[in-house]
Amino acid sequence: MSADASDLSLVRRVQRGDKGAFDALVLKYQHKLVKLVMRYVRNPAEAEDIAQEAFIKAYRALPQFRGDSAFYTWLYRIAINTAKNAVVSRDRSPIEYNIDRHDNDESYEMQGRMKDSETPEGLVLTDEIRTTVNAAIDALPEDLRTAIVLRELEGLSYEEIAAAMDCPVGTVRSRIFRAREAIDRRLREVFEGGLGRAEELG
Amino acid sequence: MNEELDSQLSAMFDDQLPPGECELLARRLSRDEQLKARWGRYAVMGAVIRAERGVRLNAPLAGRVSAVLLAEPALGAQSLAVALPRRGLRWWQPVAAGALVAGVAAMSILWLRAEAPSVVSPLSAHLTTPAASGAPVIPASARERGGRADSYVVPPAPAVPAIVVPSTELANYVVAHSMFSSPVARRNLLSAFMTSEPAAAGAEEPPDDVKSAAQ
Repeated sequence: MSADASDLSLVRRVQRGDKGAFDALVLKYQHKLVKLVMRYVRNPAEAEDIAQEAFIKAYRALPQFRGDSAFYTWLYRIAINTAKNAVVSRDRSPIEYNIDRHDNDESYEMQGRMKDSETPEGLVLTDEIRTTVNAAIDALPEDLRTAIVLRELEGLSYEEIAAAMDCPVGTVRSRIFRAREAIDRRLREVFEGGLGRAEELG
Repeated sequence: MNEELDSQLSAMFDDQLPPGECELLARRLSRDEQLKARWGRYAVMGAVIRAERGVRLNAPLAGRVSAVLLAEPALGAQSLAVALPRRGLRWWQPVAAGALVAGVAAMSILWLRAEAPSVVSPLSAHLTTPAASGAPVIPASARERGGRADSYVVPPAPAVPAIVVPSTELANYVVAHSMFSSPVARRNLLSAFMTSEPAAAGAEEPPDDVKSAAQ
């Protein structure tokens, strides 16, 4: 079994012109990439902008991706370079955002960022998602919780988890799936409630 | 939703699904929005478990990337568009191919011309005509291959026997009609036949040195 088979199958689809497959790659790695970029920039909105740029660069460069390395390793390098370039160009830029300015020429982009990242409902929704997932994990049976944590937190493969938990690989796969299903049932309520619920909370 | 499908999706998310199943599921994942949303929630779970602080779990990043890529050409079409100018740079290839074909054709013509005298030479053809030998006309190269005259490389010899008349028959004709011809012309013609007969008879078989050269 190839360690990167799932990413590679999605990548091959994108290379054949299937943009929907690239959505799946973005969904899978967006949080990792934003976290990575936040080593270089503090502002989450700026990190998201850089991550977005990195994804678009990756999409455009995908015809040259041959699969010699893992897709995420390749994406990681693009994101790091994009973040470094963004930091350098920002440091060179004479324009600095001043929150005390009330000029009419205040950046529209800045307003957009404030709207996107700093709104109370957005923050509340993020907090609610965290609370929901953590509560669902706490409610899981011990074997399911151990399997999902070893996978997501420690990054172990199914074989390694099977060895650690002294059970077959098929059982590990089933436990991780059932753990995700249990968490997803709770999480879906939050996503489907969406901002409406968050506004009520806010 | 199908539980087996969801189980496969979970395994695929962890890169723990066999490649063959990945191919099938990737196709479905790229088209099925419900499946894609579930895939996205799996990513959110992982981010929460890893306590990725500062990361907005409801980030519209995926939607923004998707919106930007809507304006982009699909990669399959893009690579085709890139390939076309490259093909344009190779304009000399058809020219070279044409030159090669023309060269081969010219070589073939020259070779056939070199072969042709041994087949249809007016001086020796009368010795190898069907009327003289009773055998069909076979080119020299075909004779070397065992008498197969149906080669597509060497065309069959043109039908010249009707034009070429054997020397003995012509001599008999001249003698039989000597009463109608002038003595001077008759003598000149007969002496010409007498002198050409031995040389023509020796020309039936190529000399040994030519044979060996041909071999």
